[in-house]
Amino acid sequence: MPKLGTSIRITSAVAAAALLAVVVAGAASASRQKQSGATITGAGSTFVSPLVFQWQAAVGAALGDTLNYAAVGSGAGITQITARTVDFGASDAPLSPDQFTACNGCEQIPWALGGTSIMYNLPGVKNLLHMDGPTLANIFMGQIKTWNDPAIAKLNPGVSLPSTAITIAHRSDGSGTTYNLADYLSHVSPAWSSQIGVGTAVNWPTGVGGKGSSGVAAIVASTPGAIGYADVAFALANHLKYFAMKNNSGKFTTPGSRGILAAASSDQKPAADNSLSIVDPPAKYPNAYPISTFTYVIVPLQTSKAADMRKFLFWAVTHGQAGQYTAKLRFVPIPKSVLVVAEKAIAKIHS
Amino acid sequence: MSAQGLTGPGLRLDRLPRRRRVNRLMEGLAWLSAAIAIAILGIVVFDVARRGQSELNLNLLTKAPINFSLTNAPQGLANAFAGTLVIVGLATAIALPIGILIAIYVNEFAAASVRNLVILVLDILAGVPAIVIGIFVFLLLVVGSGQSGIKGALSLAILMLPFVARTTIEVLALVPNSLREASLGLGIPAWRTTLSIVVPRAIGGILTGTVLAVARVAGETAPLLFTSSVVGVKTDWNPAHALQTIPVAIFELSESPSPQDHARAWAAGFVLLVFILFASLGSRWLVTRSHRKITGR
Amino acid sequence: MSSADISAEPTRRPFTGRRVRFGDVVLQVVAGAAALGAVVLVGLIVWKVVDGSRLAIVKNGWGFLTRIAWNPVVGKELYGAASFLFGTVVTSFGALLLATPIAIGVALFLTELAPRVVRAPVTALVETLAAVPSVLIGLWGIYVLGPALRSSIEHWLHAGLGWIPLFGPQSAAGASVFTAIIVLTIMILPIVSSISRELFLGVPHELKEGALALGTTRWEMVRGVIFPYARGGIAAALILGLSRAMGEAIAVTQVIGGSPTIQWNLFSTGDSLASKIASTYQGAVTNLQLSSLIYLGLILLVLSLAANITAQYIVRSVARKHGITRGGHA
Repeated sequence: MPKLGTSIRITSAVAAAALLAVVVAGAASASRQKQSGATITGAGSTFVSPLVFQWQAAVGAALGDTLNYAAVGSGAGITQITARTVDFGASDAPLSPDQFTACNGCEQIPWALGGTSIMYNLPGVKNLLHMDGPTLANIFMGQIKTWNDPAIAKLNPGVSLPSTAITIAHRSDGSGTTYNLADYLSHVSPAWSSQIGVGTAVNWPTGVGGKGSSGVAAIVASTPGAIGYADVAFALANHLKYFAMKNNSGKFTTPGSRGILAAASSDQKPAADNSLSIVDPPAKYPNAYPISTFTYVIVPLQTSKAADMRKFLFWAVTHGQAGQYTAKLRFVPIPKSVLVVAEKAIAKIHS
Repeated sequence: MSAQGLTGPGLRLDRLPRRRRVNRLMEGLAWLSAAIAIAILGIVVFDVARRGQSELNLNLLTKAPINFSLTNAPQGLANAFAGTLVIVGLATAIALPIGILIAIYVNEFAAASVRNLVILVLDILAGVPAIVIGIFVFLLLVVGSGQSGIKGALSLAILMLPFVARTTIEVLALVPNSLREASLGLGIPAWRTTLSIVVPRAIGGILTGTVLAVARVAGETAPLLFTSSVVGVKTDWNPAHALQTIPVAIFELSESPSPQDHARAWAAGFVLLVFILFASLGSRWLVTRSHRKITGR
Repeated sequence: MSSADISAEPTRRPFTGRRVRFGDVVLQVVAGAAALGAVVLVGLIVWKVVDGSRLAIVKNGWGFLTRIAWNPVVGKELYGAASFLFGTVVTSFGALLLATPIAIGVALFLTELAPRVVRAPVTALVETLAAVPSVLIGLWGIYVLGPALRSSIEHWLHAGLGWIPLFGPQSAAGASVFTAIIVLTIMILPIVSSISRELFLGVPHELKEGALALGTTRWEMVRGVIFPYARGGIAAALILGLSRAMGEAIAVTQVIGGSPTIQWNLFSTGDSLASKIASTYQGAVTNLQLSSLIYLGLILLVLSLAANITAQYIVRSVARKHGITRGGHA
């Protein structure tokens, strides 16, 4: 009996010592933390997350701050900043008046500009396929069920399309990318507008839900015949093809810098709440990619971390837009007119 | 308690061959069931090891993850391993003393009806789904003030508490009364008797119960989604911040489209599984060894 | 850990009738506070969850339980729990149906058939299956079990028995209710088996040997003596397994696909209460949606509490009936 007691005693002593060491290390690092810059925590849009993650390392080097970001979807970002469980929220969908009221003293600031790609997985078809708004709406509503449907064939003459069934991959969580797509489809399809509507989450008539843009990309990548939607950076990262969308001038454009920048010229003046709408631009912007969007950071006007937030956000809308961060992800630096409004809004943050 | 169907026509001798065949069939099915159960465990462990081996290297423990990497730079899950140690450690530090105190009260002080009530409450608490505990801690602590490692630890402690308390109650009851009476007879006060004599006597069983509870809780994901999921990539030991944990990291990586992410999820899962198997089987082996020493078998 | 051995109160009370010291009072108060805290905790959990779902309860009332809807579009918001309730019921009862024979088989193997040397290790292995984290079983379900089931059992069942609504067309993306059922089966197998094992160990030797002496085969003895004796306990074990299956969120949400409909096809996607909460709470956009998710959590809590309390009641009444005659405990 004494021998067993000893071995248990030794084990428990070692475990207790390890526990103590961990707790002490935590306390030590906590006190160290206070001296080396602030920790800024944010949550929200997966659309902008590739860019924010690029910023994480840079912010540490340039400003000495630690940036934590959880890509949980625009919907969650709005909810979390409303509940003040994070320091900032990120959403591609502008806040509604109700959400502004609920957020109680928040403002939204446009801080990035990108495009939603409609990704697809169709093995055996090498060409870049064309698509237009009304057809896309019918696909997402479940009325077009196979790839060789006449509507799709009409847009892609000379391409032999297989009879594979179309599987829709959509977002299961509250998503600004969903908002962007639904906004676009409502503009181009009266049926979509009346039956489904616009929102960060909608009642999808068909399809499989994925969590986050990466969840949708995962479904598309693993399911032949699937169509999904996400910021173009996700399509690039997963080597997924995306449609060239027909805009109002009749041209088929892709979500690259040229298409997104052209779309951004269609709305240069942010509204009173700093929101802009650049989906489905009119014909006088012939190069525009019709499913582009600004994306916003949502901050409380009054916060104890005001100085750090202003520093970080100024950096984000200026240095953060530099080509080294944005170019390979197909984000476009925000135009001058929008930058001016953004900087004014950032200056309003106070403690 | 009558044995049903065992008299009269049920035991006919002329039906014996058939009855023996049915018996063989049933025995075979029982063997098959055991084989299935063990096979499942074996397949899962084997699959986890095989699929994680490409990422099972030192990078996993030392390098930070790179969110949304467009290159193939080496990355790991250092932040998750650190966070798991901190959060599970804190959870144990919270649950263990409270569990022992509850067991002391139930076993040494409480009247029979109170004892039964508290044990019933502990059994009910053990049955509350982990995700509901997550909602509870979220509503109570996270809304309005943010996530943190300590809040995650608290939710895990609530999950551990019933196990720790129940096993401690059982081992305290096993400590012979003669020990208590001898101690009291020597003039040692009751509180001293409990803390310095009874509890240390049962410490083996208490630690076994704690290790099993830790093994169970180290793999819990749902409550941590609510309390400690908005995390950074750098290795952080500070429980006042939200910390990444291995189960949450696996959950997030499992939904990613990248095969390297999946391999990293398997690899981290393998490390977690090895730890849990070690703790689970190791503590059981220690218990069996102590039983053998006591009973001489 | 057995919840079946609430033995008769041991006769010991050496602390009563002694001179009470200050330290004794302090210890009793502190320990009593801890015990009280546990009781208060359970009440607090119930209260907080009810409080969080209040908005949804007021808006929806009882209709929530029967409505098939989950429309989060602002201005058209409509939520209902019916499809998730259906999913929870189908997945947990399905898992119970599959797990019960295997678990009882394992328990019988360990108590009646296995060579003595093998009993302890095999018992430990089966209980270790319970220790495998649910997120790992879910990960394994997505990338190993799901595809394997798709190409084998699901395919055969659909090809051969496709006219039965249960075995309809397979979902394109690989996630399915069937995979979720198998995953849950694996997770509740150890619980049901370990409780059954302890029950079978508690059957008095005299009864078993008496039956065998009458000339019964082992199976007839099991059927005629063990099962009737342990009937109540087995019921409790099943209910506890069911409760565990109902509460599992992570592994289910990884493999079930998340579609809010009621349909009988096991091979298409679905959703359950716990799985919906896990997949959606982070993305809850409005207060009503968040509150509706918590309402789902409340329904889940009520179901699992009901199952648990029933099981505990059965366990205690069975223990009371058999508690005194616990002979032959191996």
